[in-house]
Amino acid sequence: MKISLNWLRKYVDIKVPNDELIKLIGARLVEVEGVIDETHKYDKIYVVKVTKAEKIPDTHLTLCQIDVGEDSLVQVVCGAPNVREGMMAVWIAPGAIVPASAKEDAPFVIGKRKMLGKYESNGMLAGADELDFGDDHSGIVEMDPELAKPGALLSEVFDLEDLILEIENKSLTHRPDCFGIIGFAREVAGILGQKFNDPGFLFEEKVFPKGFLQRVNDGLRSKDSDLSIQILRPENCSRYSAAILKVTDATEKEKYLSEMQILLAKSGMNSISRIVDITNYVMLLTGQPLHAFDYDKFIEVGNSKKPEVVVRLAKKNEKLVLLDDAEVELNENDIIIASGHTPVALAGAMGGKNTMVDDDTKNILLESASFSLYNLRKTQMAHGIFSEAITRFTKGVPCGGTFNVLAETVREIGGKTVSVVDCYPNPKSQPTVEISVQEINDLLGTKYDEKLIISTLENVGFEIEARKAKLKVTPKYWRTDIHIKEDIIEEVGRLLGYDNIEPTLPLHGTSNTNPMFELKYEIRDIMEKLGANELLTYSFVSGNLLEKADQDPRNSYKIVNSISPELQYVRQSLVPSLLDKTYINEKLPVDWFAIYEMNKIYQKEWGLDDENVPVEKMSLGFIVAERKQRETAYYKAKKYVAELLSELNIAPEYLPLKSNAASSKPFDEKRSAEIRLDGELIGVVGEFKNSVRSKFKLAQYLAGFELDLDIILGKANYKKKIEMARRKSEDLTVTTNDTYGETLKKVQAEHPDAKIYPGTIYQGVHQKTKNITFHLEYAE
Amino acid sequence: MEQLDKIGRLKQKLKELNAEYSNIGKLKAEKRAEFGRQLNLAKQKILQEIAKAEQELIDKDTEPLDITAWSGVNESLPEFYPATSGSKHPLMAELDRVTNIYQMMGFDVVESRQLDDEFHMFDSLNFVKEHPARDGYDTFRTEEGLIPPAHTSTMQHRVLRSYKHNLDEGKAIAVVVPGRVFRNEDVDATHEHTFYQCEGVYVSKDCTMGDMLGILREFFEKYYEQRLNIRTQPGYFPFTEPSLEFMIEKPKSLGGKKGDFLEMLGCGMIHPNVLKMAGIDPNEYHGFAWGGGIDRLVMLRYGLNDVRYFESGNLNFLREF
Repeated sequence: MKISLNWLRKYVDIKVPNDELIKLIGARLVEVEGVIDETHKYDKIYVVKVTKAEKIPDTHLTLCQIDVGEDSLVQVVCGAPNVREGMMAVWIAPGAIVPASAKEDAPFVIGKRKMLGKYESNGMLAGADELDFGDDHSGIVEMDPELAKPGALLSEVFDLEDLILEIENKSLTHRPDCFGIIGFAREVAGILGQKFNDPGFLFEEKVFPKGFLQRVNDGLRSKDSDLSIQILRPENCSRYSAAILKVTDATEKEKYLSEMQILLAKSGMNSISRIVDITNYVMLLTGQPLHAFDYDKFIEVGNSKKPEVVVRLAKKNEKLVLLDDAEVELNENDIIIASGHTPVALAGAMGGKNTMVDDDTKNILLESASFSLYNLRKTQMAHGIFSEAITRFTKGVPCGGTFNVLAETVREIGGKTVSVVDCYPNPKSQPTVEISVQEINDLLGTKYDEKLIISTLENVGFEIEARKAKLKVTPKYWRTDIHIKEDIIEEVGRLLGYDNIEPTLPLHGTSNTNPMFELKYEIRDIMEKLGANELLTYSFVSGNLLEKADQDPRNSYKIVNSISPELQYVRQSLVPSLLDKTYINEKLPVDWFAIYEMNKIYQKEWGLDDENVPVEKMSLGFIVAERKQRETAYYKAKKYVAELLSELNIAPEYLPLKSNAASSKPFDEKRSAEIRLDGELIGVVGEFKNSVRSKFKLAQYLAGFELDLDIILGKANYKKKIEMARRKSEDLTVTTNDTYGETLKKVQAEHPDAKIYPGTIYQGVHQKTKNITFHLEYAE
Repeated sequence: MEQLDKIGRLKQKLKELNAEYSNIGKLKAEKRAEFGRQLNLAKQKILQEIAKAEQELIDKDTEPLDITAWSGVNESLPEFYPATSGSKHPLMAELDRVTNIYQMMGFDVVESRQLDDEFHMFDSLNFVKEHPARDGYDTFRTEEGLIPPAHTSTMQHRVLRSYKHNLDEGKAIAVVVPGRVFRNEDVDATHEHTFYQCEGVYVSKDCTMGDMLGILREFFEKYYEQRLNIRTQPGYFPFTEPSLEFMIEKPKSLGGKKGDFLEMLGCGMIHPNVLKMAGIDPNEYHGFAWGGGIDRLVMLRYGLNDVRYFESGNLNFLREF
């Protein structure tokens, strides 16, 4: 949203410097994303009078003499079709920047030049587009002679030395009232500690002649009004105010450059036609979007004599061509306005082409309504409409103001009001919140006195009844966000400045450690020492990746709105993701690496926990890979897992892989082991199935492990056994056909006092037996 | 051999099936489609069986190992890679740093879940039923309606409930919740669908917004090892009221100049409905909560300009740390 500071100043007296003001707005209302400095945008641009205009033969150009003030005449060549003698125009003098190019990296500076080789042209007569007042380039702008004399600075005539604030809409999601200049100005007044003077029209309906309006059961309507409004479901539209106006014929004044057109441009909107401009202007002013239908077309498409406005949800397969010529297929969430049975507008989003106001419009039906923000948010996403109107409706336009704003718009448009109806099925009353001064100070940590709190709230329109430090606070209808004490505390804290609250430190107890965090912290240290690299991979994987790792995608939770097929399933274990990263890293010029990740995993077969959410486990996945190595990768991975576990004082058993768990699936059962501690499975270590390795396109020397850290957590400790005694050692070689494990058991039985370390295993080419060497150490 | 025979049999069957296709012309026109469909189904099934058998054949083709040993026969004992090439992931190292400071300040640490439900993600946080954030424009959902959380606030309700006994004992609830979160958005240099946040929750009888600002300032002063100016901005979250955005003056170590401010996190006083839902009486207790990204802290610390490095798994990146 763009907010012109000059426009704001019309409603609030700002005495602080601009940079101070912007800082305050940022700290106490909303983030100011940027500031567009227009203080010099209209330098050297003047109001002039065309005193002479001669067509240059065989061209579209006109040679003009212009009065630039104090009777000095300047010659300028103009290409616009509407230039004529006697008109007042706008002149960009030589040396001035063309305003429309001001934002560009190299703004265009107009100069003095020769046209067609002989006509000197000084500066230029400007069109609305060149002045950055919209995109109209049909001709040059015409100035109202009553507004300024030749030689007047355009920036002075229209107050153009301005700063435009670019407001971050998101943080005002709950503040529809701030999406209009008046609401924004009210907040600025509050921030500056000033009482805001609300324009009278926000409360009165004096636009209409006395006796013209009558109160009926669903609101107000004009006498003998034949306009009927039907809201089929009030939850879609809480209030619908409408008027039928006979539009007066265009006056001479309408062709002149107007302040309204400029304000629209500053707010980022284009001038379209007088009626549409007024509805947009009132919207920018009040935050209440309006829509004007061509009344005669409305009657025609409705195929009835009587004007019947129907507010309802669209039906399936209903279609509507919008103002921008796009045909939309409506869905059953979209709220539409129908004339009788025929849709004429996608409510809150855009009007229909079939009832568009144009140059021939004689009568209009003017709408000022409040629609359900929830429906409109869906409509916005479904149809990709991001207009200024829908931006406001999706914040929840307060229903309290539709009629007052309608009345103000009628006044702006003028003409003759034929009929007015205000359909308001369930009028809302504003809640009153009771709060004490102490409650406010207790939550904020402040010592604000009652007087300050009351004036702060009253400045922005709250009505307050104070009795013995108890406040009864009632918001005005435009504040739809005030329900509970905390909402009032927020107002006080915010308007007086959160930054004025003294930061304090509460005293509270000491903390407990998180054992899993401690464990992971410890593992990180150990693995770093062992030369391994910790990495992180996504929690979501593709079905293809699961299949490559021999895991069944049906055991994975499936994301229904995934970004891509690559991220469709919640992973069941970490090793498959690591295999994927191994492929990437094998392409790098590194000859060897050990990578690991610690993260959470989920499997459908584990079911739900006590809280009815999926059981989750903390896992550790590890891969070792080498490019040129010919030895057996299994033993490398085993050494890593054994060392890690031994640092955690865990001495497990390595048994033949029988586990059919999902995390074991990628492992080759003949070249892998289950890791068990006291009979409990804590992980798997080994090489991968040939088919898995080939599907991941990985080199031969490759092994890994996956550990269940939740189980390990219960078994790990970080004690160190310190043995200072001198030790004596010997090597022992056994010739055998048994496995290493079986042999070790025998050696242990024979040397119960020894600490036994593995040595090498040797087998000669023609030998039938192996020589297993052990390294034995004894305390001396 | 057994496997090879099996594959042979299956391939023979496939041949026979393929031959069946020539019979299609002999059928009445209206029966042809159904016949073809059945044939295709049968063929698919056999092709799958062949693929499976072939895979089993490849996988069978490995030498068994003595898994109890510590090296292969005639191989040397394996060695670890040099410690100099080892590294911790910068995000995890940062999380450790962050949680350590909070622990020094008396906060317990609870890790966030990575798959949660509608209740914890939205209902318990005072999101009204129709809140647009529920509609899935940026929240992932599983077929079961489970949610990979879009913020660590998904843990607030659990933390409040499981630490409620602190209040009964006259103590405060002081917990931080680091964890991985997910948003359905396109990835570029500054956006990731997967990132880390750290949530903080504090509840006591008499805590104030001043305490919240004090704790947050204290954390960042410890984290950046210098005195810091702080600044706030009004914000909006359904689960806090009032809500704020919290900023710090850019620290000197990050090349900050006076007047440069960094948005660090969102925070606010816990909405009474959130306390109520966790069984805490909002008339007796109040609290505050905050949450901010960890990825950004790391990017600032190391001057990184692309968030995509973190989950890239690229060793060139990881070995820099």
